[in-house]
Amino acid sequence: MSSSYERIFDIPIGPQHPALKEPAMLRLKVDGEHVVGVDLDVSYNHRGIEKAAEYRTYIQNLYLIERICGICNVAQTLTYCLAVESLHGKEIPPRARFLRIIAEEISRINSHLLWLGVAAHEIGFDTFFMHVWLDREITLGLMEALSGNRITSSYNVIGGVRRDVTDELLARIRKGLDELEPRVKRYREIVLTDRSILKRTQGVGLLSPADAVATSAVGPTLRASGIRSDVRADDPYSSHDQVPFNVVASDGCDAHARILVRLDEILESIQMCRYCVQKLPSGPILQRLLRRTPPGEGLSRVEAPRGELFHYILSDGSDKPYRCKVSTPTLANLPALVRMLTSKGKYVVNIADVPVILASIDPCFSCAARVEKSGGV
Amino acid sequence: MDTAILSLLQTLAFPGFLFLAVSSFFYEWLDRKIYAWMQFRAGPLSAGPMGILQPLADFIKLMGKEDITPAYVDRRIFGAVPVLMVAITLTFWAVIPVTGAAGLVSFRGDVIFAVVAMTFFCILVFLGGFSSANRFSLLGAERATLQLLGFEIPLMLSVTGVCIHTGGLSMAEIVSWQAENGWSVLGPQAIGFFIFLIAAQAELERIPFDIPEAEQEIVAGWLTEYSGRKLALIRLAKDMELVFVSGLAVALFLGGPVGPSPSGMEWIAYTAYFLLKVAIIVSILAIIRGLFARARIDQMVSFGIRYLVPLSLAQVAATVLWRLF
Repeated sequence: MSSSYERIFDIPIGPQHPALKEPAMLRLKVDGEHVVGVDLDVSYNHRGIEKAAEYRTYIQNLYLIERICGICNVAQTLTYCLAVESLHGKEIPPRARFLRIIAEEISRINSHLLWLGVAAHEIGFDTFFMHVWLDREITLGLMEALSGNRITSSYNVIGGVRRDVTDELLARIRKGLDELEPRVKRYREIVLTDRSILKRTQGVGLLSPADAVATSAVGPTLRASGIRSDVRADDPYSSHDQVPFNVVASDGCDAHARILVRLDEILESIQMCRYCVQKLPSGPILQRLLRRTPPGEGLSRVEAPRGELFHYILSDGSDKPYRCKVSTPTLANLPALVRMLTSKGKYVVNIADVPVILASIDPCFSCAARVEKSGGV
Repeated sequence: MDTAILSLLQTLAFPGFLFLAVSSFFYEWLDRKIYAWMQFRAGPLSAGPMGILQPLADFIKLMGKEDITPAYVDRRIFGAVPVLMVAITLTFWAVIPVTGAAGLVSFRGDVIFAVVAMTFFCILVFLGGFSSANRFSLLGAERATLQLLGFEIPLMLSVTGVCIHTGGLSMAEIVSWQAENGWSVLGPQAIGFFIFLIAAQAELERIPFDIPEAEQEIVAGWLTEYSGRKLALIRLAKDMELVFVSGLAVALFLGGPVGPSPSGMEWIAYTAYFLLKVAIIVSILAIIRGLFARARIDQMVSFGIRYLVPLSLAQVAATVLWRLF
């Protein structure tokens, strides 16, 4: 942009910064208000969970894996259980599969609402933030009714789910969803019409479909660039082939499109939950499995709220995994993030846009902290 | 002798320094309560009835906190800015009419004097940020100065409209004109009132124009390095500035403190009117704060130059035509 290097100086966003909820380092090179370069470092929070998993039994690991991410804990345990179950090679009861979908979709709604509030906060719209988080309480209440816990649900276990549902509970879930749906529709209307939101999000954080594929972005970030890719549809892992739903995508390619994709996904999830509640099969909720897992390699992938989540388990036939490997959606989205943050030609990134772009991939750096340094992606 | 003591009391207590400090704490509480009410929150709750003493408690707490001056700051400017901010607000407060048509000090041209206060405040923000030797402070200071370009011209023009409308250049003239002919906001100055409120929001660095201290972008902007006593003074000055700007809006657009009152009790009734009208302005400003997302600095400046400046020019033209016919 400018040829004189004196004008360009570094702005450190992180490791501690109000825009970041977790430690990460974005070293921005700025020329006035324009970002001309970015260097990303997410290696501040290595927690050694994969190694710790090798010292615990498969059942103990459920509660460890769950703590990789608080918000997508249902997706984490689901992926882990699917990987272990694939080693056993036994069918999971249909009722458990449907209950897993209900838990997964409620947690997706929960995660997307949380994200919407954070996104509103990043553009300084605290009123919207507070209203959204008040309605998020509905999903937290449903999660508590379903599993006994608001956040860390421990709902999925190897071979099925932990708790069964009663008819009263199903009625309560239906009521909660009915309460939530008009609210989400209202938020969608606000996001589509409020000028101050449009001004801050449209044309911000552009990621072309070609770039999205080239940087292997996942989840809503990918779908907001117009690519219809969703593990639930491409590789149905838990009776998703029996539940009708649409893969939401948008051609906007910017931060605004990412908000809309997530809001539409909430509406889709509400429909999916309703369908599962209505068509819930009867039968057992748990398939008993041996404590010792047969030797082999277990692989699974799940569409977590943030995108494709991937677990790999290597078993040596004992009751503890020999190796456990997790790849989270945030890690897959980091290269796309760096590309979005770099000004190119007519596309200029302002410092004010950085928190918006950062929030738009829904980052969870603590989940992704498995790498030494991803700078210069 | 008596008059000397009386004017000293007027300056120090009522309607001078003490009154301004107490009312600024009250209006900060009101602002926070309305903002919280818009967000389904409770707002300040525990200190005093309905949390009314919370701003005072915050101030006392901040005064007792450790005051850090970083090694590389320009010590003299860095330390002078908070004191100057309070001093300037207290000084300019003297021209705002509270107990009658005229303020403590009244002279021809005190409207211009009051408007200059806004620019002074902005210069102090710039100095504070610039002397902090911090990247975030520097960006905040730069943004504050850019923002001045966006809102200062419309602000001055909206005040000009009132002066043309009422034919006076002093607060006393403007207020007594309104007492006879009705509030100036009811004429073509309605546009001016609207522009003044937007500009005031930018001057006070509140959402949607809290760009110089945007938390999610540049931590606390120009305030980043301030702590302890200095931060307490800056926050006090900002609260007092809120009352000052609202008081200015009341005097210019809402007829000042003057209204019907029982004879002999004028100053009590006028003070009550003043407090009520300032509360209205503060409420409007708080509601604006709750309704918008933060603008980007380029959007703010282009909004000011593209829309506010032509609008305020049109308002001045309309006022001139209204005066001629």
